[in-house]
Amino acid sequence: MDEPTLPEIPAGRMAATRKRARDIAPPPEHSSTSSDPAVFSSDDDPALDNYQGHTRRKRRYVGAWFDQHPASSDSAFEDDSSPRFLQPRRVRGPHAQQPGQKREFKRHLDSGVWMGTDGSLTDSDDVFELEPATAKLPLPPPQLPPLIPLPPARPRLTPGELEVQSMIRQCVENGTERVDLSGLDLETISDGLLDPISDIEPIPNVAKDVEFEKRDPRLQVFLFNNRLRSFPASLFNAEHLTVLSLRANQLTTIPPAIGKLKNLEALNVAQNYLNYLPGELLHLLHKGKLRSFNFQPNRFWKPDTASFPPTMPGAPEKYELLTFGNPSAADRQPGWMGLTTKLRFRSPVQFSDGARNTYSAFKLPPVSRHPQEPAREGDDNVEVELEPFTQVAMPKEVTRELSSARLPTSLMAAPRGARSLFELALRACATSAQADRIAGWLREDAAEFPWPAHLAPAVERAVETHREGGLWCSVCGRETLLPLAQWLEFRHVRLQYVMEGVESDVAELGQEPVPFLRVGCSWKCVPAKVEAEGEEKEEGKEEE
Amino acid sequence: MAEDTENKYLTLVSNDGFEFVVLAEAALVSPTIKGMLRSPFVEAQTNRCTFPEISGVVLEKVVDYFHYWYRNRDKENVPDMEIPAEMCLELLMAANYFNLEPGPGQAW
Repeated sequence: MDEPTLPEIPAGRMAATRKRARDIAPPPEHSSTSSDPAVFSSDDDPALDNYQGHTRRKRRYVGAWFDQHPASSDSAFEDDSSPRFLQPRRVRGPHAQQPGQKREFKRHLDSGVWMGTDGSLTDSDDVFELEPATAKLPLPPPQLPPLIPLPPARPRLTPGELEVQSMIRQCVENGTERVDLSGLDLETISDGLLDPISDIEPIPNVAKDVEFEKRDPRLQVFLFNNRLRSFPASLFNAEHLTVLSLRANQLTTIPPAIGKLKNLEALNVAQNYLNYLPGELLHLLHKGKLRSFNFQPNRFWKPDTASFPPTMPGAPEKYELLTFGNPSAADRQPGWMGLTTKLRFRSPVQFSDGARNTYSAFKLPPVSRHPQEPAREGDDNVEVELEPFTQVAMPKEVTRELSSARLPTSLMAAPRGARSLFELALRACATSAQADRIAGWLREDAAEFPWPAHLAPAVERAVETHREGGLWCSVCGRETLLPLAQWLEFRHVRLQYVMEGVESDVAELGQEPVPFLRVGCSWKCVPAKVEAEGEEKEEGKEEE
Repeated sequence: MAEDTENKYLTLVSNDGFEFVVLAEAALVSPTIKGMLRSPFVEAQTNRCTFPEISGVVLEKVVDYFHYWYRNRDKENVPDMEIPAEMCLELLMAANYFNLEPGPGQAW
């Protein structure tokens, strides 16, 4: 490549200096115009000399040490358009710089670093006297209004709850399956406090010649002698709970979600204020593993047998057959021993709607109050009306609906069709993450916005039911949030064993039959109606 | 016959002007609509119901429900319809308005 040649340097100027003549031609064009890094070692490397010239050329570089590139022109030509390379000039004689004299610093805009001006000797005597930058006032911190109200701080745990927490933690660490929380004077147990119980894993037996075996934990939780007012709902997640004692507390109800504890073998709910037991317990008694069940004394409602006509013989058995189907023989092998129930009486059905208006003549008695509240008269001795198994009293609204839909009233019609939009929306409310707040909004905004009056209590109840673990229809088994039909079944709980196909009772637990609350998710989910013998014959005739 | 095909569909109009053409049989699950279509009213002659209280978004979900109900009216073990949580309060109100609550008057 031909290098552009520069005009001749005036001879006089060159002659005046004692310095050797230098080739002051600028470096090749391409080296300064391209910003790309060198590809070949011979291309551009500023460290390499161009030996083409006859004379030696002094290498000139501009820029900071980290960004050095060959000077594109010489300062000798006073070319202002190109960056200038400042040649250090040594001054000798009287004008020499005095040691200790400070150098002046000025900023070079092109290089970005501070460099000394002409006349500086060395860098060793640098004394920088830079003006300190005036401290900028810090910007005031942004004052934004909180967009979302912060959730209320977690309620402080009471000393008793802290003790519970540490005890459970210890059990989880040691693999202890027996969690003894008795006699701690607990009144409430916060949500989630008992959740770690389901993390308890037994420590397997590791010994020589013993096969390693991972077994399911057999959790035992003892909460007796406390003052619990509500069943700790977080226990329902402990799938492997086998023993649960809630003796001597202040419970008024047991949530239906107790049916989730399929491995429960012993349950003690004695010495509480229960009015009835959930119907879901029947599944644990009939098909579950429950062997020991203590429930007396409590404030159970009693059947009003005085004004009740004698039942048709065999009717309870037929009712059981219609409700539960045939007991599977496989479960009742010889040698089987467990708890069963024997049905005695049934109450009429209470029909209600989403707003909990009752349409039937029969109403369940009010649930007994907590012992701290003033007791109502006759709370200890509530008698419940009874109904023969051969009839199901329905309010006239229901029978009219049934007749217009041409549905049979005698059978528990299998629930067909979709749920109501109200129930679907209610479920969406109760399962949403902000369920608690929704109920609060409904209450607070009632003045500004005329919500239908029954909405707030319906949502609150649904949220409560959901928190307690849910509710299942005892007829069709669907999960529901609205108990639209409710009735009580009075049953004797019996210990029973099977020997060579012969069933025999060992003992009836308690003298009085105990009420079990059964729940229907629609007005079609009602107790089975046992046909009286006369009616059966008439129906047979009709069919002929 | 011509009248039948005319009466087979209803037009439901929301307050922001959205129109939904619905199978009449499905919409009649709502006693409110059933009442509107009873003979002397304008709605019965035009087959067009306007709901000045209900927005298009909510009415769409309600119309969804009508057809969900209609498809499943004779089936067992019906899966629940999905309802987004942010709409649940409005739909509770709409269920109240359209009388889609359990209790008497609820068509089975």
